[in-house]
Amino acid sequence: MNTISDNDLILYFYRDGLDAARIGEIDDALFASPDLRARYTRLQQMLHAVDADPAPEPDAQFNERVWQRLDARIAALDPAAPATGWRVRLFDTLHSLLVPRAAFAAACMLLLAIGVGFYAGRSTAPQPDEIAQTRANAMATRVLDAYVAEHLRATEGLLLTAVNSDDAGLVGNRDLAASLVDSNRLYAQAATRSGNARLADFLRQLEPVLLELANQSPDTSVQSIDGLRDYLKKTDLLFQVRATQARIDATGKHST
Amino acid sequence: MATDEVRWVAEARRGDRNAFRRLVEAYSRALFALCLRITRDSTMAEDAVQEALFNAYRHLGDFDGRSSFKTWLHRIAVNAALEQLRRNGKHGVTFSDASPDDDGEDFLASRADEAPTPDRHALGGEIGRQIEDQLARMSTLERTAFVMRHHEGQSLETIAETLSLNISASKQAIFRAVRKLRGALEPLR
Repeated sequence: MNTISDNDLILYFYRDGLDAARIGEIDDALFASPDLRARYTRLQQMLHAVDADPAPEPDAQFNERVWQRLDARIAALDPAAPATGWRVRLFDTLHSLLVPRAAFAAACMLLLAIGVGFYAGRSTAPQPDEIAQTRANAMATRVLDAYVAEHLRATEGLLLTAVNSDDAGLVGNRDLAASLVDSNRLYAQAATRSGNARLADFLRQLEPVLLELANQSPDTSVQSIDGLRDYLKKTDLLFQVRATQARIDATGKHST
Repeated sequence: MATDEVRWVAEARRGDRNAFRRLVEAYSRALFALCLRITRDSTMAEDAVQEALFNAYRHLGDFDGRSSFKTWLHRIAVNAALEQLRRNGKHGVTFSDASPDDDGEDFLASRADEAPTPDRHALGGEIGRQIEDQLARMSTLERTAFVMRHHEGQSLETIAETLSLNISASKQAIFRAVRKLRGALEPLR
């Protein structure tokens, strides 16, 4: 009976890695030998004790958190595909009117709208209605916030890909990075115009990194790519993008 | 559920992110449990789930339906968890690392005469902690192979394929993992 080892019993327990003949031999041996039965019982106890250890559970917000990050990354991967957040759905209608360079075009339109809104309210009305102007300003800010939040989601996806993907993946995102450079600049101007200096400063901080990513090419050295990744990790830029995005989302919720 | 899943996969492959979200909601918590068992770190586990789902989305076109979607997704998650460990410098221990538990000798006989007692059952919580300790002692690949075999019910063939090992090496990893687990019960006897 000693020809049946503990390793055989482990495979027998899982009914894996043994052919039918060997399983039959072990069945017979277990029936005939109390010692072998005791050994097998011992193994079963041990492995069943492992089952008593409960499966680890994530916190309640886990699914939502995972999806938010994932949705942003997928959007960055395929900016033309429809996103699923409520804010995105709302603005899909606007985006659908735009040409493929949607981010840039939207930023241009937004800049124009904010500019017209602010200057019209401040300088051309003979007797400005303060309430109406306040409302117009608040609306302009909300619209800017919504666009910037989407812009930051796309930027987050881009940065995550830059940090995590292989070199080819990083280079493959340069078109997206280039489009984000353009829109980033315009959103920064819009933020300045609407009086949100903090947001404007942050967007300006993003620009060099977006430019760097937009200029990656298949010939870019490994050292350069690694240097960029190190920079992203050391500066917590990804965290700052998420924090700014969260702040804008929170502001949007309070104001609606 | 199976029908829904087939539909969601088909729609997600066509770029429908709502369908992919359904799949994420269906599987992300189970993926977290799997990745946490491998990484032993909730932050790494969450990042691994994130990477696994992102990779799954990018490679949905490669899913050929030969295995279930769950098996396919879990295999991606195992590799994402191992990648997190590598990135965090915690993947140093390999199969070549021998330990006193790797002697290959039978270990069950020495305790085979002991039957479980009510007292021992009452120590379930303590056993759980001891098992945690023993799982932490395993090398990454031993633990991964064991988690895949024991908790996930994956075949040796799938384990070997996922971990880029041969079947024999996969078996040896599981044998060593089980041997290490015996330490979880011995202090309680």
